[in-house]
Amino acid sequence: MKEEALKVIEEVLKSGRTALVEYEAKQVLKAYGLPVPEEKLARTLDEALKYAEEIGYPVAMKLMSPQILHKSDAKVVLLNIKTPEELKEKWEVIHENARRYRPDAEILGVLIAPMLKPGREIIIGVTEDPQFGHAIMFGLGGIFVEVLKDVTFRIVPITERDARKMIQEIKSYPILAGARGEEPADIDAIVDLLLKVSQLVDELRDYIKEMDLNPVFVYEKGKGAVVVDARIIVKEKN
Amino acid sequence: MEAKIVEEMKPFFDPKAVAIIGATNKKGKVGNVIFENFKTNKERGIFKGNIYPVNPKLDEIDGYKVYKSVEELPDDTDLAVVSIPAPFVPDTMKQIAKKGIKSVVIITGGFGELGEEGKKLEREILEIARENGIRIIGPNCVGVYVPDTGVDTVFLPEEKMDRPKSGPIAFVSQSGAFAAAMLDWAAGAGIGIGKMVSYGNKLDIDDADLMDYFIHDEGINVVTFYIEGVKDGRKFMEAAKRITKVKPVIALKSGRSEYGAKAASSHTGSLAGADTIYDAAFKQTGVIRAEDFEHMFDLAKAFAALKDKLPKGDRIGIITDGGGAGVMASDAVDRFGLRMAELSEETLKYLRENFPPHAVPGNPTDVVGDTDAERYRIAIEGFVNDPNVDAIVVIVLFQVPLLEDEKIIDILAEYQKKSDKPIVAVAMGGEKTERYARILEEKGVPVYPTPERGVRAMAGLVKYAEYLRRGA
Repeated sequence: MKEEALKVIEEVLKSGRTALVEYEAKQVLKAYGLPVPEEKLARTLDEALKYAEEIGYPVAMKLMSPQILHKSDAKVVLLNIKTPEELKEKWEVIHENARRYRPDAEILGVLIAPMLKPGREIIIGVTEDPQFGHAIMFGLGGIFVEVLKDVTFRIVPITERDARKMIQEIKSYPILAGARGEEPADIDAIVDLLLKVSQLVDELRDYIKEMDLNPVFVYEKGKGAVVVDARIIVKEKN
Repeated sequence: MEAKIVEEMKPFFDPKAVAIIGATNKKGKVGNVIFENFKTNKERGIFKGNIYPVNPKLDEIDGYKVYKSVEELPDDTDLAVVSIPAPFVPDTMKQIAKKGIKSVVIITGGFGELGEEGKKLEREILEIARENGIRIIGPNCVGVYVPDTGVDTVFLPEEKMDRPKSGPIAFVSQSGAFAAAMLDWAAGAGIGIGKMVSYGNKLDIDDADLMDYFIHDEGINVVTFYIEGVKDGRKFMEAAKRITKVKPVIALKSGRSEYGAKAASSHTGSLAGADTIYDAAFKQTGVIRAEDFEHMFDLAKAFAALKDKLPKGDRIGIITDGGGAGVMASDAVDRFGLRMAELSEETLKYLRENFPPHAVPGNPTDVVGDTDAERYRIAIEGFVNDPNVDAIVVIVLFQVPLLEDEKIIDILAEYQKKSDKPIVAVAMGGEKTERYARILEEKGVPVYPTPERGVRAMAGLVKYAEYLRRGA
């Protein structure tokens, strides 16, 4: 697990960067068994068409560039591409958008991803405190985190009981537990995510500076969760 | 390792002989107050050790021989209290090391808190300490107060600052000013403090060391910390995990580091204030966080009396002689995450049969304004025997005309002793009430001036009991 993740991080550091692009961040997460979508990085249009065929239409396209970390601002996330023809057309559009946003943007490729069924959005994050070391954060996505700052923290590593308490102690917990007649969300899947992130950070503590898994879609009980977008910042090599 | 810390701390709390380096005969000076403290406690027969003032310019102070240097000190000296200006401390430390003294309290300020120059002095001092196995409390602190042994390095004279009686609460404070104010306040509130340590810049001995020490201190039931910042968070957490399994730790954390405000490149970083991180660390290690100093001592008082009698669950029973106070207590039960007990049929029947018709059985049970002590006894008897009740809050408005003061105090004390359910009392009122409250507390029943504070203290007991049962 650790070796695979380290390989990705070392590559990034070698190229003089500390911010992993989404694709790289997800490679690190995948190495620790976190659920990420079946995505592939296409370097050419031909590869993109091939991967889209394998994944099955409709697909999403996300352009990967170390200079473009706020992808939606740059309009380099295009969703619901239904046919190869549309993909060809959007391939041009997405590159044009990237150039317009950052003419000097280095483009690593375009991530071809399946369109995901929406779920309840959560955020899992990691930060490093100068006194206590790494801490893991949990909250519900969207306005719950942006406006209400309804999040909770624990110092890494955490226990399963810590993970469960984190989930239960946020104010918006009823949304996960199933308010207004909704099915409850897959709490066990969130616990599993938190524990895996904790393990990842604990083992890679000398490398990881900050992480955002935002959003993560959580489905109904028994149906799991998937990391939709992820950012990892690593420490500069010393 | 923990046993070593007990050995190391012993001279700080119960020295054979204390050297007061910087002792002087000038009234009000730090070196004079500290000397006076020890001298007075010796005259009272509390401090049993020898007292050796050190000052190159004096021959004697108040009949005590003054030593010109550390070198001249008798060999039984095992504690040095240093109150000379910062630049002279490193040299004195060298002499202390040579003399073989292993415990040093550095009262003096003007070190790391002032900047780089002071930090350099601190590094020098620490190096000497580490090389010679010396432990240091301070610098920049008021040091140690132990009522049982008469150790008192607090440089605020008795006529200005009252000293609390002894008790099972340990109080540790980073800030010297806060420590002094709290001791004075605790004395006034009748709260017993077994040991106070103010460690200032915590150059050497820190929170983690003291937690490891207090695990073994049988006179201490509960440890309270006033913390401004922790240097090594992981060390703090490890020590906290060890002690909270044995005795409760209450922390009052103030001060926010600039960390919370620093620019973070991730979403998570921007949401993580230093305070949220401390909150997490406390939760994971079973440390109970106090909202303010009132809450800290409310909790400390409850644990001091009831540490060995923790509630078995979160179902609270309330007895009151005033309807309004009962409602306030019920609201507080909800607010502090506890549950109102549902009295069993037998209990309700027992209360109905023994109460006059206008008293109100239930939860809360209202014994109403014409109550006497006996009606309280019936209510408490019912609650104590009810398997649905885990803990009891008894509100006593001593002002009601027929209530016999002494009898109700005895009844509460009696049930506190014989029942395995913890009882806290709430007594609202003025001077008379205050006097009764003191007597009740002497008899092992913690008393709070409002229903909220009584219930909040009980909530601390409930949460700690749950932590002991189930872990963090």
